[in-house]
Amino acid sequence: MTNQLEAAILVFVLFTAGVYLSLSRRFLRILFGFLLISNAANLVLIAISGDPTRRLSATVGADGLPHNAVDPLPQALILTAIVIGFAVAAYLTVLLYRLYTDRGAATMNSLYADKAPGGAVARQTEGDP
Amino acid sequence: MSATALANLAALPVVAPIAAALILLLFPRPNLARRVFAVVVLTALLGLSLWMVAHVQAGGPLILRVGGWLTPYGIVLVGDTLAAIMLCLSSFTALACVLYGFAEKPTADEHPMRLPLMLLLLSGIDLSFVTGDLFNLFVAFEVMLLSSYALLTLEATARESRGALPYLTLNLVGSALFLATCGFTYSLLGTLNFAEMIVRTDPLVGDVRLTVLAVLMLLVFGLKAGVFPLYYWLPGSYPILPAPTAAFYAGMLTKVGVYVLLRLFGTVLPPELTGLHTLIAWTAGLTMVIGVLGAVAQGRVQKILSYHIVSQIGFMVLAIGLFTPFAFTAAIFYIIHHIIVKAALFLVGGVIVRANGTDDLDRTGGLWRAAPWLGIVFVIQAMSLAGLPPLSGFWGKLMILQEGLGQGEWVLVGTALLASILTLVSMLKIWLGAFWRGAPAEPLNYDGRAKRMTAVGLGMVAVSLVIGLGAEFFVKTAKHAAGETLDRAGYVRTVKAADARIHEGKHP
Repeated sequence: MTNQLEAAILVFVLFTAGVYLSLSRRFLRILFGFLLISNAANLVLIAISGDPTRRLSATVGADGLPHNAVDPLPQALILTAIVIGFAVAAYLTVLLYRLYTDRGAATMNSLYADKAPGGAVARQTEGDP
Repeated sequence: MSATALANLAALPVVAPIAAALILLLFPRPNLARRVFAVVVLTALLGLSLWMVAHVQAGGPLILRVGGWLTPYGIVLVGDTLAAIMLCLSSFTALACVLYGFAEKPTADEHPMRLPLMLLLLSGIDLSFVTGDLFNLFVAFEVMLLSSYALLTLEATARESRGALPYLTLNLVGSALFLATCGFTYSLLGTLNFAEMIVRTDPLVGDVRLTVLAVLMLLVFGLKAGVFPLYYWLPGSYPILPAPTAAFYAGMLTKVGVYVLLRLFGTVLPPELTGLHTLIAWTAGLTMVIGVLGAVAQGRVQKILSYHIVSQIGFMVLAIGLFTPFAFTAAIFYIIHHIIVKAALFLVGGVIVRANGTDDLDRTGGLWRAAPWLGIVFVIQAMSLAGLPPLSGFWGKLMILQEGLGQGEWVLVGTALLASILTLVSMLKIWLGAFWRGAPAEPLNYDGRAKRMTAVGLGMVAVSLVIGLGAEFFVKTAKHAAGETLDRAGYVRTVKAADARIHEGKHP
């Protein structure tokens, strides 16, 4: 837990880049933006996995550990988070692809344009504010 | 059965729906047996959670250490009164919505994935109620959210699918923030176990890091609950769902956020964070007004009802912000009332769409003549939502306002009353547009299926009336749950007492 400045800067850069990308209009950039954001959150977890002695970590005989040992629990948390993040990324990819096939274009403009292309026009009479 | 063996039942509301969903996936063709199976599982879950409410009130919470790990190291499931009440509500709402779905469509037209996904969603919701660990709560939320993403776009048309994007993206940001919050919690406290967190936050009272952590938690769960200004995803996404699923989302999903706020601010975080409680109360006031103004401005049934969720969340969160045992009792009672009423109103909305072919209030009408029972369901639930005596909503609002007046929060009480009147106005709008006005040119499609759908609504009205007329019993249960939620020392004691039992070798 001594020097975490690099980790903090890296998290900052990833979050900033992720937010910037996810606010753009193109689906691909939005996807990359959210991938960066979820990885930034994973990095936060890595950054906290410092020396276990101060903590209630599940390490038996923490006194005998070498000086630079890390706390194992955050590693388990990151693994779980990565798996979950992977599932969510897969869903996001599929949803964006579906929006692309539904609308015929891969930008946010196509989602909120009044005249949707192709078959979507017929359904527009359903009534939407 | 011994206490430790009984404690295993705390895991059943999580395990049973997952197992049932997996079994249903083995039979991908929709048929009658699948339907019967789902109903049996949900009924059994409802029975189990009703038993749990009675049992934990008499005999204390059910504590299960998953895998036999001692408390601070492993995951612990805590089935206390509040969790048991929420389990009852989730299984009841799921049962009603599934039955409604069966009434709506013949077996052959049912989407094969709808039932398994509903059950997976239910297991995620139930896990977030019983878990006693912050990271496990994150996992529960992800199970719940992933199933809800899939259900959201499962039956959406090309026109509707775009409504899923704000829901997904905002929840993605929320999840990343939740994960980071878990990290910060661990680096500050060295544990993610609720009981251990209670012990370790006490010396940190007044430390600004704890306040920052609490603000982060408020952001994350305020987003899930749909609190102003984080509610944007809600009114856009719910109307794209088919009626039974929408009713389940409307009843349960945002209330999971409210439950977690109750649990974290009531049990886990120290009660000295009074500045934050004031912040919660005032955002709740804004949520009430903004939500109901949104509802008044809308012209479609599902949209109006979706904005009402936001407004009603304000009432519950206001009660959390007032932060006394009585206010918590009011919040819990309000949750019980709200879940049933809101889900029933969405089910009525589904029948309106079916009968008129649309839920645009400019083109609906004639339902009072064609379907008086549907009208009765709607009127009773709408009046209950607005808070007219002696219906269930009245008691919830009365308790919240009483507490607000007791604390001298005149502005917030006035806001709540204004929001209630505007609720009545927008409910009248649906009543006039869909029920009272003469029938539109096309004939109404109110067939036998619609009648059975209405019958499910009538069942929910019956429950809602019981809550309103037998309010004393429900308030008593809510009071017990509120006392238990606010008793932080008691929570630590019961969780640690379960450890002592292992040491004595009484573990089965």
